[in-house]
Amino acid sequence: MTRRQFYTGVISLAVAGVIFILPFVFVLLTAVKTKQDAALLTFSWPVEWHFLDNLTEVLRTRNYMLLLAYFNSTVITVCSVTLLVLFGAMVGYVLQRRPSGWNKVIYAFVLAGLMIPPAVVPTIWILQSVGLFKTLTGMVFIQVAYGLAFSVLLFRSFIATIPRDLDEAAIIDGAKPWQIFFRVILPLLKPVTVTVIVVQSISIFNDFTNPLYYLPGRENVTVQLTLYNFQGQFQTQFNLLFMNILLVTIPPLIVFVFFNRQIVAGMTAGAVKG
Amino acid sequence: MAKVVLENIRKSFGSLDVIKGIDLAVEDGEFCVFVGPSGCGKSTLLRMISGLETSSDGRMLIGDRDVTHAEPSQRGIAMVFQSYALYPHLTVRDNIGFGLSLAGRPKAEIAAKVEKTAETLQLTHLLDRKPKALSGGQRQRVAIGRAIIRDPKVFLFDEPLSNLDAALRSQMRMELTDLHARLGATMIYVTHDQVEAMTMADKIVVLNAGRVEQVGSPMELYNRPASPFVAGFIGSPKMNLYEGAIAAAEGCTTYGIRPEHLSMSTSEGKWKGTIRHIERLGADTVLYLDQPDLMSIVVRVPGDAELALRQEIFVTPVPGKEHRF
Ligand SMILES: Nc1ncnc2c1ncn2[C@@H]1O[C@H](COP(=O)(O)OP(=O)(O)OP(=O)(O)O)[C@@H](O)[C@H]1O
Ligand SMILES: [Mg+2]
Repeated sequence: MTRRQFYTGVISLAVAGVIFILPFVFVLLTAVKTKQDAALLTFSWPVEWHFLDNLTEVLRTRNYMLLLAYFNSTVITVCSVTLLVLFGAMVGYVLQRRPSGWNKVIYAFVLAGLMIPPAVVPTIWILQSVGLFKTLTGMVFIQVAYGLAFSVLLFRSFIATIPRDLDEAAIIDGAKPWQIFFRVILPLLKPVTVTVIVVQSISIFNDFTNPLYYLPGRENVTVQLTLYNFQGQFQTQFNLLFMNILLVTIPPLIVFVFFNRQIVAGMTAGAVKG
Repeated sequence: MAKVVLENIRKSFGSLDVIKGIDLAVEDGEFCVFVGPSGCGKSTLLRMISGLETSSDGRMLIGDRDVTHAEPSQRGIAMVFQSYALYPHLTVRDNIGFGLSLAGRPKAEIAAKVEKTAETLQLTHLLDRKPKALSGGQRQRVAIGRAIIRDPKVFLFDEPLSNLDAALRSQMRMELTDLHARLGATMIYVTHDQVEAMTMADKIVVLNAGRVEQVGSPMELYNRPASPFVAGFIGSPKMNLYEGAIAAAEGCTTYGIRPEHLSMSTSEGKWKGTIRHIERLGADTVLYLDQPDLMSIVVRVPGDAELALRQEIFVTPVPGKEHRF
């Protein structure tokens, strides 16, 4: 490493630290302060540590709303991601492996799904008319619909790197199409599946606007919406507000920290053959 | 065990005719090799026999059963791919047993059969490895094991040795020949390597541009090629082939003589030429001569012949070994 590389490295780390770490530290510090201390909104060491007090207080707010929100968010995230992986892989597989006239049409729809911004009001009409408005099921479908295009593209490009010989060997071994998919192809999709799971679960868990539009109602609250709901109440209690932020940020952060290597691996694995 | 019969088999991809009407019978227990230049449709024909590719026209029988429209798994065939096509996420044991496990056979039966197959191929110590951790030859054997365990009537091989180095290739050639003798199954083997064809085949099918050029035993094809194409394809170095005035003088349209069927002399002979290039192979020496009328002659002489570049020598065809088409 030359001197210059060393300095540019140090500088970029410092910049990244200021941009990414400092706000987080600020949140962390404010979250454990007392009400008066937090109200100053200064970047200072807490006078007293009130971690547990603040935590229980936030959890207890509005009759344990945050716990309900965690439950709802988890249900939505797990169900949507499961469906996204399954459908994404299946559609990607069919698009890649079965050339037919329909493929172009399907592919056009997939790309459209990626490019055209969703229209909120008509979507709500449709949800209302099929009776899925204000339900977790409806929210899951919305998330699947919004995330599917990206998953399909990711899976499709990855499947292109799996040699067709494997499919054919399986056919000769007597595999039915669904057996080829579930027993040969799907296990080989592990790297890209991890990517899809991590990327989608973070974005679904962190989603604020979609639940706001499609999932109104007190009992339907999601984690990100608690912030919105508590905002008025915590106006004068910044310590609680920041504790809430902390609790909402941590799960995706943990996922990201543990899986970020696989994310990159899965994103690039489809890019180059071999 | 089964006979394979193709009747007027055709295949087109869109407007491109790849297989242009093939009639062929591969006898029960025969080792049949398809050879031909790249792109002549060998793989396509093999894949049609396997059922991976449908036939555009014609009829196909395996063991007296019409399989023209049968699924690959219903045809009683097994196939070994050039790339081996081992399932990367499964161990050798599961790779070999995959077909049986798909068919829902009991675990104990699968284990016993895999064990037995592995023994015949000396794979027992590798059973718990993944394909990634195997050498080329070992992967090849696993692929063959996966074929054997299905107990097929017909084995299909698509250039199975082309990814191996020369030494391993000749060893695997012998192993395959042994395997054929042991199993007595019908085998169809695709290669573009005429050495593989000559050494392994009971019957060679020479394909050219989607048609059968000639069918026969290796020595038949060597001794009595039906066309200049076959004559040029079988044998190494290639047969000398001449058209035009020289051929006309011999009373034919194409005149051919193999390099090993030319006798050399320093004093007299039919054609006089200058040595342009010498290839010493040890046992043999291959000479490339410049000759005014024939342009170029390739001659094969014993390895210890004392020769120098630019030297003038005479060559004469061995009587009865000339080919006129
Ligand atoms: N799926 C396909 N669609 C269109 N053309 C094809 C297809 N498969 C093969 N072909 C064409 O058919 C011809 C024969 O191909 P094939 O793979 O059978 O050749 P081959 O004799 O096996 O050659 P090689 O020795 O190089 O393997 C080629 O011209 C090829 O381009
Ligand atoms: Mg081929």
